[in-house]
Amino acid sequence: MKMKVLSLLALLAASTGSALAAAGELSIGTEGAYPPWSMSDANGNVTGFDADVGALICTKLEVKCHFVVQAFDGLIPALKAKRFDVIISGMSITADRKKEINFSVGYAELANMFVAPKGSDLAGVTDIDTLLKSLTGKKVGVQAGTTHAHFLEKRAPDADLKTYDTLDQMQIDLASGRIDAAFADQSALQDFLDKPDGKNFQLVNVKIKSTFDPTLGEGLGVGIAKENTELKAKIDKALCELVSDGSVGKASQKWFKTDISRPCN
Amino acid sequence: MEFGLWQVWDAGWVTAILRGAAVTISVGLLSMVAGLLIGIVCGLIKWARIFPLSLLVDGYTSLVRGVPELLVIYLLFFSSVEFVTKVITAFGYAGLAQSGYAFVIAVIAIGTISGAYSTEVIRGALASIPSGHIEAARALGLPGSRIFHRIIAPQMLRIAVPGINNVWQTTIKDTALVSVVGLQELMRISYIGANSTRHPFVFYLIAAVVYLVITLVSQAGFDGIERLLRLRARR
Amino acid sequence: MELIQLAVPVLLKGLWVTAALTLVSVLIGFNLGLGLALMRLSSNRFWAGFARYYSNVFRGTPLLVQIFIFYYGLGEVSLIKDNALLWWVISDGSRCAVLALALNTAAYTSEILRGGLMSVPTGLVEAAQACGMSRILRFRRIEFPLAIRQALPAYGNELILVVKGTSLASTITVLEITGYAKRLMSQTFAIFEIFAIAGILYLVVNLLLIAIVRSIERYLMRHEAQARQGISTPRVDGSAVV
Repeated sequence: MKMKVLSLLALLAASTGSALAAAGELSIGTEGAYPPWSMSDANGNVTGFDADVGALICTKLEVKCHFVVQAFDGLIPALKAKRFDVIISGMSITADRKKEINFSVGYAELANMFVAPKGSDLAGVTDIDTLLKSLTGKKVGVQAGTTHAHFLEKRAPDADLKTYDTLDQMQIDLASGRIDAAFADQSALQDFLDKPDGKNFQLVNVKIKSTFDPTLGEGLGVGIAKENTELKAKIDKALCELVSDGSVGKASQKWFKTDISRPCN
Repeated sequence: MEFGLWQVWDAGWVTAILRGAAVTISVGLLSMVAGLLIGIVCGLIKWARIFPLSLLVDGYTSLVRGVPELLVIYLLFFSSVEFVTKVITAFGYAGLAQSGYAFVIAVIAIGTISGAYSTEVIRGALASIPSGHIEAARALGLPGSRIFHRIIAPQMLRIAVPGINNVWQTTIKDTALVSVVGLQELMRISYIGANSTRHPFVFYLIAAVVYLVITLVSQAGFDGIERLLRLRARR
Repeated sequence: MELIQLAVPVLLKGLWVTAALTLVSVLIGFNLGLGLALMRLSSNRFWAGFARYYSNVFRGTPLLVQIFIFYYGLGEVSLIKDNALLWWVISDGSRCAVLALALNTAAYTSEILRGGLMSVPTGLVEAAQACGMSRILRFRRIEFPLAIRQALPAYGNELILVVKGTSLASTITVLEITGYAKRLMSQTFAIFEIFAIAGILYLVVNLLLIAIVRSIERYLMRHEAQARQGISTPRVDGSAVV
């Protein structure tokens, strides 16, 4: 009798834990407004590097992918509200974020850079300390809730920080001259420079790696709710396999023309 | 053309904008109805001075009318209305839970705000009913439900029409704020279009025109209703 | 709680910006609204029509759309970018927000003042005309004061709406209360607490505004209170006190 009850309870526990996998679908929260990581069209179809990584994970886990588009600074609260199962949206792993949710192993690296008008005094700077000092009093654009925003809030407090909800709005203001510079991930900024709007701008030749300051995080990861330990284990395993067999690298080449994948340890 | 009018037509944004307008109107209507229901209940409570409920209603209206709508919407959206997802799933609409989430939050948020304003309108209308009518009805020995049904309700609704018109105008304009939480209504579509085509002027101007059409048509509608009611009352 | 210690000073910084935005918008918007009300009541068909269309357009479209048109929309137009003065206004989030808020509140104010001006009893206006008062004097001494007294409650409501409208400035990078609240929220994830504190700040501001408007109302209506209490200046010739 006791064995029966115990085994029934065990079955129940196991089934709730793997409820998601059993449902055959993985719902992924993503921003949908951050090219070339995550783009969505008017019909809600998501494409980009994050979409490809998501698709790769879903294939490995043998479930169907379902993307939910959500503003970036609302992704973590929405994950905690169980609006979706995971976050794949170019989200860096930081200590502050780890207090709220869990992350998978890091699967990619960001190179954080500034963009400024061609020939401006910011454009010519080549080392990071001069760069941070020369930001004093300048209007710099960042996206709300990102590591870039937190980094500048901490390391360049005298800069006039302008926070935007989306990258597009920041780039519109950059193109019209309302801000003197913008700080974001290199791939996203490169996407801007390749468009006609960006022809008068250039990257400032200072690559700020995430190791420079903890606010910049430890690489990109898949966000998972704290209680979902079984899903995290599955995704970790899938990601490691995908990175080592080069699938993530291939997707990276497709979208960024360079391999930003990071070996999992 | 410099302002990208061609892009609007070409990339199928017109259908998207119309779709957005439809969502705007449906959120507006649902919120208005919810708000009216709340308004009638709370307005009655406040007018009849039912302690301590009327204090709660006072708190509700003061809070909602004193705090910016944007804040109320952000709060409802970000503070994990987890139970909304649970409720939707419980009702069997699990698939809809994903896309319906923003819609439900929008209706709850705007409906709550609209309800506070409706409460004041209904309360004002109830206060304008000549107390003599109600006293006479009581003297005649009519039961309370009959008094409400025959004396109070018709007059309340007639007097409240201009105020309800105002609340509707405010409600439909407040739906634009829900764009910040991602609901694909008119403002959000314009926002996406403006951002992806880098032609904000055309898109936001078109959105303004569509809102103007909605409000002007509603205004004409309400003016017609008011005229009808005035004619009937003149009997 | 250390969250409150962290959040309150930041949000108070935003309070100054909110107050400044409100003040400047109301100053500009009230005067503009008065002008529009006069235009609407004038016999000139062109001005009256213009005022009516202005009022319908600004009251018939959401404030958020107006703000976005002024900030992102006009920022795209090269005519604006080349004009130094216009660009000075449009380029900065706060100044652009003041522009949008002022134009918006002017429309509502014009309706309120129009109602107030129309409610002045014609008998008083005719008496003033009979006394030979010039138009300006009549307006300054009779119509305007009476209109303000009548319109004050409704205008008090409008002031509160302006305060709430400043929160929309946060969508165009302005750091007022809501802007700081969003930033804090993305840093600390303490959503409910931050917005509760922000909400309380707005409530306090609005309650203060209501109190100020009510006291102005009482001051303007003090003659009625005195009459009710039976205080009136005794007549020199001893005739009955009214």
